[in-house]
Amino acid sequence: MAESAQRETSELPQFCSEWLSPSELFAARSRCHRIPARGQKDFLPDGSALQRERLERSLEEHWSLVSEERVERLGALVQAEWIPSKRVVELRTPAGKFWQTMGFSEHGKQFLLPEEALYLMECGSVQVFLHGLPLSIQEGYEMFLSPSTVTLQQYEVFSHLKRLGYIVTRFEPSCVLSHYERTLNLPVQRDRQGRALKRKRSHSPHTDEQEGEESTEPPDHEAKNQRFDPENHPDSLTEEKDQGEVEDKPVAMESTSDAVLARNWWVDRSPRSPMSPTRSQAPRWDFFTITFPDLGARGPLSPLVAPDPTVLPGELSVSECELTPWLQRLNLRKERLSRREQEREQARRRYQRSVNDDKEVRRCGNWAEYQELLRRRRRHHGQRDRPPHLWESTVKPLVQPGQHTSPGELLDKISIIKPSRLLDGAARLEEGADEWKISFDVFQPDTVAEFKKSKPGKPYSRLCVCSFEGPVPDLRVLKQLAFQSGDIPVTFAVVDHGDISFYCFKDFQLPTDVSH
Amino acid sequence: SFPARAVLPPPRPVSLGVASAQRPKVIKTAAMDTDCVMHACGSSALLWRAAEARAARRAGIVGTLVGALARQPRQNARLGRPVELLKEEARLLGEEEGWALSHAPERSEVRLAEQHRERMEHSYAEQSLLALQERKAVLQRVLAEKQGADDDDNRAVRDRLGNLDDTFSFPRSAMAVQLSTARAGLGHDPEERRFLVSELLRTRDEQFEIRFRVFRDLRNKGFYLTSGGKFGGDYLVYPGDPLRFHAHFIALCVALETALPLCDVLALSRLGVNVKKTVLLCSPSSEGTVAYTSLQWSGMA
Repeated sequence: MAESAQRETSELPQFCSEWLSPSELFAARSRCHRIPARGQKDFLPDGSALQRERLERSLEEHWSLVSEERVERLGALVQAEWIPSKRVVELRTPAGKFWQTMGFSEHGKQFLLPEEALYLMECGSVQVFLHGLPLSIQEGYEMFLSPSTVTLQQYEVFSHLKRLGYIVTRFEPSCVLSHYERTLNLPVQRDRQGRALKRKRSHSPHTDEQEGEESTEPPDHEAKNQRFDPENHPDSLTEEKDQGEVEDKPVAMESTSDAVLARNWWVDRSPRSPMSPTRSQAPRWDFFTITFPDLGARGPLSPLVAPDPTVLPGELSVSECELTPWLQRLNLRKERLSRREQEREQARRRYQRSVNDDKEVRRCGNWAEYQELLRRRRRHHGQRDRPPHLWESTVKPLVQPGQHTSPGELLDKISIIKPSRLLDGAARLEEGADEWKISFDVFQPDTVAEFKKSKPGKPYSRLCVCSFEGPVPDLRVLKQLAFQSGDIPVTFAVVDHGDISFYCFKDFQLPTDVSH
Repeated sequence: SFPARAVLPPPRPVSLGVASAQRPKVIKTAAMDTDCVMHACGSSALLWRAAEARAARRAGIVGTLVGALARQPRQNARLGRPVELLKEEARLLGEEEGWALSHAPERSEVRLAEQHRERMEHSYAEQSLLALQERKAVLQRVLAEKQGADDDDNRAVRDRLGNLDDTFSFPRSAMAVQLSTARAGLGHDPEERRFLVSELLRTRDEQFEIRFRVFRDLRNKGFYLTSGGKFGGDYLVYPGDPLRFHAHFIALCVALETALPLCDVLALSRLGVNVKKTVLLCSPSSEGTVAYTSLQWSGMA
C-alpha cells in the first residue's frame, strides 16, 4: 500500500527516505490498526497456481505491513532532544504515561536513557530531535546504541521484554544488598537507578554512603567508645584533666564515708597512679587492689556506695545502691521439670557420666597419671573392638562404632564429597572477565501500577544478555553472576540474530531418601 | 532403534526442484545494485528501507525483523523494520548481489533544519486545507440528508458551511507527522561512506567459511534459510518462503574431517524427531560441493 503510494517528489534534499506527502499523512490518521492473521502454512511447494497465488497474497500483506510508516498526531508526541555528549535524551515537552516506569530527573529536567528513548520512538510516543531535525528510527539505532550504553543485542532483549509489558531497568551492582546487609535487614539506600551506570560509575555514591551511616549507626557511637574504653585515647588532653579530677575526688569521699567494705571499687586508687605524666604501657587498673562486692555472700550486705560522679556521663547522678530488694528479685525457687524433661535429663545422665564419678580417675593424683590412665584404657579398648591396624594409623574409619544413632547422620558422616550449592564459595571468586555482565533488572507487568522508580523493590529476575555465537557460561561465571545478583534469579537471554531465547540455571539438590 | 546414516546429496531431490521453480531468478539491474545498501549497527548489518528488505527477499535472503511494528508496536508476534541479517546473508548480498555496506554519516544539520521547518509549515498548511475540505464534505452530506426537513436547522447548517472558510481552524496538535523509519539513503547524501561487506566480516574464521559455503550452496539450490540456534543447529532450512512453509531441515555445518561423538549425533537426531524436522549434517568438500547427510531413526520392530 505505502509502497505503491505516490511519493512526494520534492526539490528539497531529503533527510529521510520514504517520506509521506501531507495528503498521505492526513489519510493515515484513519488507518486500520488491525494486524492481518496469517493462514496455515503449506507443507511442500507443489508448483500449483493456487499455492503461488496464496504466496503472493501473503507476501503482499507482509510487505505492506512492513513498509508502513509511523504517523502520529503532533499533539500526542512528546518532543525530546538527543544530547550526544551525555548520551541521554532530554524531554522538551511534558512526559507521558511512560514516566511511571522510565526516565529520570536531574536538576529539574527530565531525561530518558537511550534505550528507553529508542523504544518510545519505536512505539510512536516520542519524537527525538538533534539540531532541530527529527531523528529517524534508523538514526536512533545508529546513534543511541553503542558499547558504552546499550548494544544492539541488549536493546533487542530490552525492547522484546518492554513490548511484552515488563518493566526493564538497567542493573546497578551497587544497589544489590550484600549478604551482610540482607542478614541484618538493613534498609535499601538507592540512588536513581541506571544513572550511575550511564556515567560509567564515575558518579561517586558519596551521598548514599553518608546517608547509610547516619541511618545505621547510633549518633553517639564515638562518645560511647570513649566512655567504655579509656585506653583508647591515652594522649587526649581532656582525659588527662578528667583523670586529675578523679584522683582528687576519691580522697575527699573517703573522708566522708566510713564504710571501708563498701569502698568505691571502680575508682583506681593504686599508688602507681596512672596520672604520672610519663604514662607507661602497663595496665591502669591494678586488679589486686580492686575488690569486687560479693553479692552472693551470706549474711547482711552493706549497700554499694554511689559511684564517683566524675566518671558518670553528663547530668546522671547515681545514689547509694541498696542490694536487698535486688536480691529478693532473684528467682530462688526450685526448678520443676516436666516429665519429658526429667526423662531427657535422666537419659543424658545415663550416657554422660561425670568424670568425677570414675573411681579410677579419682585415684589419679596429677595430670600425668590421668593421661597414663587414658592411654591404658585406650589400649585395652583397642584390643577389644578397635583393632590397632585400623585405628592407630593415619587412615582411620570414618565412623566409630556406636557413635551415630540415625542412618541419616551416618550417611552424612560417610559422604566425603559434600554437595555444593551455586552460591558456595562464590564470594571468594575474584572479578571475572568483562564478557559476562548482568544488564537489566526485570519486573513483572502486573507490578506496573505500584512501581516506583525511586523504590523499585525486588526485581522478578535479572538478565544477562549473550549470543549463540559466544561461549556457554561456565560454573565460575554462574557462581559470580548468582553472587552478584543476590537472592534474585539470573536469566540468560541468548540472542540469535533477532531471535531471543531465555534460559536459566537452577541449583538442584539431590534428595536424600533416608529419613533422619 | 538406531539412526541410519545415509548420504543424500541433495537431501530431497523432489522438493529441491520445486523450490527452485518457486523463486524466479533475480534479474540484476544496475539501479537495484546501487540503491540497495546494508547499514552497519555494531557488528550487525541491518536493512532499513522496505524496498531493500523486499529486494533481499527476492534474492532469497530472509533476515529477521527486529524492530517494533509501526501499526502495533507493543506486541512480539509480528515485528517490523529493521531487518537484521546473518553474517552469511550480508556477505552473500555483498559478494553476489553487489550490495554495499554503509556506516552512519555525519549529518550536516543547519541547512536541513531550516528545510525541515519549511516542510512542516507546508505540511501544516496542506493538512489544514484537507481538514477544511473534509469538514465541508461532512456538512454538505448532512445538508443533503436533511433535504426537506426543518427549515431552521437547515439554515443553521448552511450558515456554518458558508462561514466555514473564516471560522475553521485546524489545531496544530492535530496535525499528523511522520516518524521516519529510515534515514536518507544513497543518492540523497553523497557524503555517506560506503564500505565493502568484508569490512563487517573482518574476523573471518574457519567455522564461518564452512557455514558460508553451506549457506550459499543451500540458498543457490532454492532453499530459504533462517538461523537455527533455537533448534541446536546452524540454520533452519525452508523448502519455500518461510511465510508460507514450515522448515523441513535443521542444518548443522561440520567440517568433513571432524569426528562427531556418537552421543552428539544421537542427541541431534532425537531433537530433530521431536520437532518433526530432519537433521542435516552439511560438510563442504574440497571440490566446492557440499556433502549432505541426513539422520533418521529407523524403527526395526
